[in-house]
Amino acid sequence: MSFEIPIGPQHPIHVEPLMLRLSVEGELIVDVDVDVSYIHRGIEKALEVRPYIQGLYLVERICGICNAAHSLCYCLNVEQLLGKEAPPRAKYLRIVVEELSRIHSHLLWLGHYFHTLGFETLFMYFWRDRERVMDMLELITGNRVTTAYNTIGGVRRDLTPEVEQKLRRTLDYIEERMRYYEKVIDSEPTILARTQGVGILKPSDAVRLGVVGPHLRASGIKHDVRLDDPYSGHDEIPFNVITWDTCDCYARVKVRIKEVHECVNMIRYALDHMPSGDYRLKIPPFFKAPPGESLSRVEAPRGELVHYSISDGSDRPYRYRVRTPTLANLLSVVEMLKSRDGYEVYIADVPAILGGIDPCICCSARVVVADEARRRRTVMTLDDIIRISRDRGVERR
Amino acid sequence: MIEKILATIFFPGAVFLLAVSLFYEWVDRKLYARFQNRVGPHLAGPFGLLQPVADFIKLLSKEDIVPMAADRLLFTLTPILASALTLFACMFLPIAGPTGIISFKGDLIVVIALLSIYTITVYLAGEGSNNRFASIGAERAALQLIGYEIPLTLSLLSAAIAAGSLSVGGIVEAQAERGLWLIVGPQSIGFAIFVISSQAEMKRIPFDIPEAEQEIVAGWEVEYSGRRLALFRLSKDLELILLSGLGAAIFLGGPIGPVIPGLEPMLYTIYFILKSLIVLAIFTLVRALFARLRIDQMEFFSWKYLMPLAVILIILTEVIV
Repeated sequence: MSFEIPIGPQHPIHVEPLMLRLSVEGELIVDVDVDVSYIHRGIEKALEVRPYIQGLYLVERICGICNAAHSLCYCLNVEQLLGKEAPPRAKYLRIVVEELSRIHSHLLWLGHYFHTLGFETLFMYFWRDRERVMDMLELITGNRVTTAYNTIGGVRRDLTPEVEQKLRRTLDYIEERMRYYEKVIDSEPTILARTQGVGILKPSDAVRLGVVGPHLRASGIKHDVRLDDPYSGHDEIPFNVITWDTCDCYARVKVRIKEVHECVNMIRYALDHMPSGDYRLKIPPFFKAPPGESLSRVEAPRGELVHYSISDGSDRPYRYRVRTPTLANLLSVVEMLKSRDGYEVYIADVPAILGGIDPCICCSARVVVADEARRRRTVMTLDDIIRISRDRGVERR
Repeated sequence: MIEKILATIFFPGAVFLLAVSLFYEWVDRKLYARFQNRVGPHLAGPFGLLQPVADFIKLLSKEDIVPMAADRLLFTLTPILASALTLFACMFLPIAGPTGIISFKGDLIVVIALLSIYTITVYLAGEGSNNRFASIGAERAALQLIGYEIPLTLSLLSAAIAAGSLSVGGIVEAQAERGLWLIVGPQSIGFAIFVISSQAEMKRIPFDIPEAEQEIVAGWEVEYSGRRLALFRLSKDLELILLSGLGAAIFLGGPIGPVIPGLEPMLYTIYFILKSLIVLAIFTLVRALFARLRIDQMEFFSWKYLMPLAVILIILTEVIV
């Protein structure tokens, strides 16, 4: 006899509306259904009715935590449309901020992850150290969270020597703390009991389900956009792609902790080898992009982020498409949550497994529900929806 | 007779216990916050001392919702029963003298029974609210009881064997006669078992499985609000004083200590509070050090390690005595 438990759309594990319908037998989960369509925000549509420069500020708000990755991806995309490339110094500065926000995202995730495991103390410690990173982001970019650092053709600000000094000190601090945390996590029996052997995702399944980012690397597959498709001078900076082959929640924690070390080293290298010159191309705020299409990929903290745009020669994109890493990773959650022969998942494992993908639901809602005002539901094809939305967009213009 | 009634109501009875239990909640929260590098309660009253009181009053004034599907009788009765049971059990604690307000031969067994009945009340509270999360929480509470009840009982009984008495007052006196606390010697293992299983009894990390916030929202207490929730919170505070007091009385020599001239009338209470605060600090430290276990891991742990250890301890105590 199974019993249905709704995890969401409002639940303490998440501040975001995600619905997991669990069918449980006692504590054992037998079936899962996932629904992310609670906060469709229409950002892709909103991008189509704005000039490129305004779109920059909108994409940043797709996700507060990955804002640097989103704005970088957008800038790369538009620069590609324009056939321009950011100057070398801008590329290095972009890497500094990107990696710094990766550290901040990973620390946030680690803290939140231990909170979901009931380890409140470690949560507080991680978030306290994250504050140091946030302070550095504020010093470099002017903002704590929504950094607005990348702009089309470069970055908005240069790095001053004083800030660089402080940044180096912060990096030393973070490195030392991460060594301590790694020791804590490896020696704490309750953490090991809750993560080892939980939420196993085999490498073959991970590839089949299109998993990306640290989640994929925790399944032992060496995949990183920074390595496969160096987009901002990453081919000049040496770094290791961290993988772990236990394929469980423990692997996800380890990969992220080790990645923070890599980030620290990358920032140090970028600071040491910072090219001189301009940090920004002179591009007028309002411009028309030549017709064409472009695709850009960025390794966001959560995984591979893809932006795709079509230009019809006007001052705004004809179509803009965003594929966020969480959307790619959500399918694997369903796979990991189902008990199979010899693999048991309990209700208590749900936070550990769901948390393991670093979910960010607000950037994942995609479904358009066509519910007519006369309480009649009409089935619409994707083409219909695109046609209607485009017509309305034209009217507004 | 009137003296006895006054003692039950005021000192060291209900009023005193309620005040001290709220103070203990503050100590617990403040220490927990300091262990986590936070400030903790600091706004209401000096050092935030009145924060638990403020929380309690706030909860009393909140809307009290009874879900339509809930069992009205259980839903009303269990919060009252829970706080009454813990308050009653606290009467056995030796606060203002070497024995509690109520004391008789074998009262330790009554305290242990009251602790188990409290968990059963929690189970009824969860099932009575007829909610998915509450049902799972209630089942977990009952399952957990199977895990920790026997080690807790055995740890207290081994202390009773060592002291040669089955009453709280008798154990305190035996320690005073020996001039040595029971925690010195083999009973230190008993104290460790007591701390661990108390953590499970109070449903605190790493055994807050029945109310795991991130898994089943608030577990068994998810439907309770307003006055009913306030009573449950109060019962938890009373449980805090009960278990830390029991630990202090049975393992740390109870309210007896060196005489400080000028303070004689208050001495019992001072020593009781000091010693139970030490136990409370240990409870809080344990709470800050671990992640939450899964229910199957908890059962595994208590039956594979705690139980055999408790049995060995009983045998050891029997051989020594």
